[in-house]
Amino acid sequence: MKTTVRVVVPIVLVVAISLLLQGHNLPGGGFVGGVLTTAAFALIYVAYGLDYLEIGVLGRDVESGAGMFEHRSVEAYLRTFVLGLALAVGSGLGGLAFGEPFLYQDHWTLYGIPIYHEIHLASALAFDVGVYLVVVGGLLTILSVVGAE
Amino acid sequence: MPYSMAPEFVVVATAVALPFVAAALTPLYYRALGERTGYVGAGVALVCFALVASQWGADGAVGVPWVPSLDVALRFYVDGWALLFAGLASGVGVLVFVYSTGYMHGEPNLARYYATLLAFMGSILGVAFAGDLIALFLFWELTSLASFVLIGHHTDQKEARYSARMAMVVTVGGGLFLLVAVLLLSIAAAGVAGVGAFDLVGMLRNPAAVQAALREQGLFVPVLGLVAVAAGAKSAQVPLHFWLPNAMVAPTPVSAFLHSATMVKVGVYLLGRLRPVLLGGEWTLLFATLGLATMLVGAVLAVASTDLKQLLAYSTASHLGLMVAGFGFANHYGAEAGVFHLLNHALFKAALFLVVGIVAHEAGSRRIDRLGGLWRELPVTAAIAGITGLSMAGIPPFNGFYSKELLFEAAYETAVHAGGALAWLYPAVAVLASVFTVLYSLKFLSIFVGERPAAVGGLGRAPAALVAPPAVLAALAAAVSIDPQLAVDAAVQRGVDATAAAPTEVAVGLPAHLTVPVAMSALSIVGGVAAYPFERRICRRIELLNELRVTPRPAWIYDYWLTATDAASVRLDAAVNNGLLRTYAAWAIAAASALALIGYASTAAAVPAIDGAGATPAMVLVLLVAIVAAVAVTIAPSHVAGVLTLSILGFMVAIFYILASAPDLALTQLVVETLVLLIFLLVLEELPAFYAEAHPGVLARDAALSLGVGLTAALTVLVTARDGDSPPTYLAEQYVENAVEGAGGANVVNVILTDFRAFDTLGEIVVISIAALSVLVLLTMRRRGESP
Repeated sequence: MKTTVRVVVPIVLVVAISLLLQGHNLPGGGFVGGVLTTAAFALIYVAYGLDYLEIGVLGRDVESGAGMFEHRSVEAYLRTFVLGLALAVGSGLGGLAFGEPFLYQDHWTLYGIPIYHEIHLASALAFDVGVYLVVVGGLLTILSVVGAE
Repeated sequence: MPYSMAPEFVVVATAVALPFVAAALTPLYYRALGERTGYVGAGVALVCFALVASQWGADGAVGVPWVPSLDVALRFYVDGWALLFAGLASGVGVLVFVYSTGYMHGEPNLARYYATLLAFMGSILGVAFAGDLIALFLFWELTSLASFVLIGHHTDQKEARYSARMAMVVTVGGGLFLLVAVLLLSIAAAGVAGVGAFDLVGMLRNPAAVQAALREQGLFVPVLGLVAVAAGAKSAQVPLHFWLPNAMVAPTPVSAFLHSATMVKVGVYLLGRLRPVLLGGEWTLLFATLGLATMLVGAVLAVASTDLKQLLAYSTASHLGLMVAGFGFANHYGAEAGVFHLLNHALFKAALFLVVGIVAHEAGSRRIDRLGGLWRELPVTAAIAGITGLSMAGIPPFNGFYSKELLFEAAYETAVHAGGALAWLYPAVAVLASVFTVLYSLKFLSIFVGERPAAVGGLGRAPAALVAPPAVLAALAAAVSIDPQLAVDAAVQRGVDATAAAPTEVAVGLPAHLTVPVAMSALSIVGGVAAYPFERRICRRIELLNELRVTPRPAWIYDYWLTATDAASVRLDAAVNNGLLRTYAAWAIAAASALALIGYASTAAAVPAIDGAGATPAMVLVLLVAIVAAVAVTIAPSHVAGVLTLSILGFMVAIFYILASAPDLALTQLVVETLVLLIFLLVLEELPAFYAEAHPGVLARDAALSLGVGLTAALTVLVTARDGDSPPTYLAEQYVENAVEGAGGANVVNVILTDFRAFDTLGEIVVISIAALSVLVLLTMRRRGESP
């Protein structure tokens, strides 16, 4: 179980991020990417237990009996979805700065980028990243505190 | 009479807004002034009165747009009727504020008291000048709110809280009837030329066309009934009169101002306002009957009263009935009686309330049988009471006589022209009610004459702040008594012009020769005086009649309904909110399904024909597996088995999406299904391993609910699905066409989510954030041992 998780989780995360980035032209998007990322974290929780991220990854001692609410990971999740919300609203406000309506989106093609040579970039990506962060942060907050119960 | 002068918007708007501004600032200057805050209120009222007086003689509409898209505007309409009412409200307001500084000495919560009184005065001015039905409704309800706060001034007394709530329920509830009437009026008048939405001014300019439109659409009688309930609740007409005597727990200045001179007259004012539009046979039948019934019932109950304020409260209801009946009669005497009595009643009744305040202040009691011989210590007060009390009784030559005489003429004329014996009930009831009116007026005045009972101790002299306001009112009443034609020319004539169907010249004065209406007056006075020696016996009879409970008393019905509603809500709460998650789920989905079905039924949504041509064998197979899995879930022996079977169903749906070429949906479904499965496995340990034996009834209920929800979902899909043969909608085409070019994305679904309809998505991610926060807060609270 743990070995499988070690192998699968990085792949899942990469797939999730690729879904997020390619979402504008191919199946995918912020929501699916976010849910898939959350699923990867859920796999870690199921395989390693709730304290693993705190001890193993963040390298912090967990007081016994302190519970999930004192975990720094929960605070990180909270910050994640607040950041995502700010990003989504901020990307919408960006349109206002150029005299366009709220949530106006535009797109450009950038040339002369190493490796890719040209990249098609849509401002909607910023909004989508916001959606991704909110989904990841929100679902993980719920998952970890409910799981801790 | 030519109306040359046009009203000024700034002046009218200032008169309405100034009291509200002063009310908002009351807490600030209360700190500096303390109990002298009342003089600020008097100053504000005086300014308002001056502003109103400056518009005297004006006629017309002024306004600024408010919600232009709905054609709602802040319109003011100024005419003789509005100016009379506004002038009364601000004029009596000055006196009541001065009186309050003396009467409310040492009382708690004075800042709130004065602020509410000011806001109330602003609302009344708003009602008077409203040229828009929405504005009229808003100000109307504001007066009820102010009345609620003022009746409940002594928040620590149970009786005050009860009475305040009763007044609130009755008058605000009546206001809701007004709201419906306003909407119906606006709908009916929409087709009439020159009338905008909620445009009272336009309606008053085309009364005949509006009434024709109302009748054509069958809305005339409903509007009439709704207006009657609204005005009846506000103006204490039978059977909604019961809140007014209870409202007497308010401080006496409030009773004088709200519950005799102004707020209760708002209903009468509305009737006068709408009279040109709604006048007709039904109008007379409804309001003449309602008004005269109230006049009689109020007068009878006033005779049986033992408390001075209670007597005046029932008397107020009775006199409001007189005004309603006056407006009810279609002839010109009727409008004259209504308008003139509005003025006269405000003068004598406000003064009488203030007199009761003085008596209660000095003698310490309001019980009629414990008071007597007060003229020795309170000579000025007794003189004031003498003038205004005789005016209340309608004794010539006091001012109340003239307007009551007009009512007798209106009733008599109506009976003569209507023919038929039933119509003679109008003048008969009017005379009978007047007999009781004379009787209770004499009973009221009896506290000033005769021997002083021993229980009343040494009386002090009343302070000037208490005596001056009623003295001013009594002086005005005396002035009207001496030269009624002067008052008519100054104020009443223009009010009659605004409320009467056809222009008339109002002429009043002492009768020169004997006519039937004069005989009716003489009969009621003689009858009242002759009955006075038997007053105690009559009282006992009325009390006996009350105790027999031949008629259900409205107050009991009110109490019964309140208790029943209370009990029903407790029961409903126990059924819906029983703390079990499964109950909430059942109620929520059942309600959602029911609402959806009602929606389909009311819009007569068509279900398109189904042909299975588009389904491939693979799809059929996948759906069959899904159905088998769904059935298997319900008979799964344990949670783990159930959850796993449920995910089979979910994955089958995902595969179906792939087969139906919806990759985005399939991807989302797969990922969400996986995550849900993981979460289930995570929390499964906490749940009991096996299901308990379920009750067969519960099982049947759950099965029926599940089937209902499933059918609703299926129906929703069918109703909303596009017919396969028809071309895509305009919206769908636009999305597809603009996706690459306009938004730079080839995935239309994602472009819709992040660009075309990004606002929806923003709302959704806000919901996710709120859900996460709620879970966090709920669980944190539980850990702290607080009940959420």
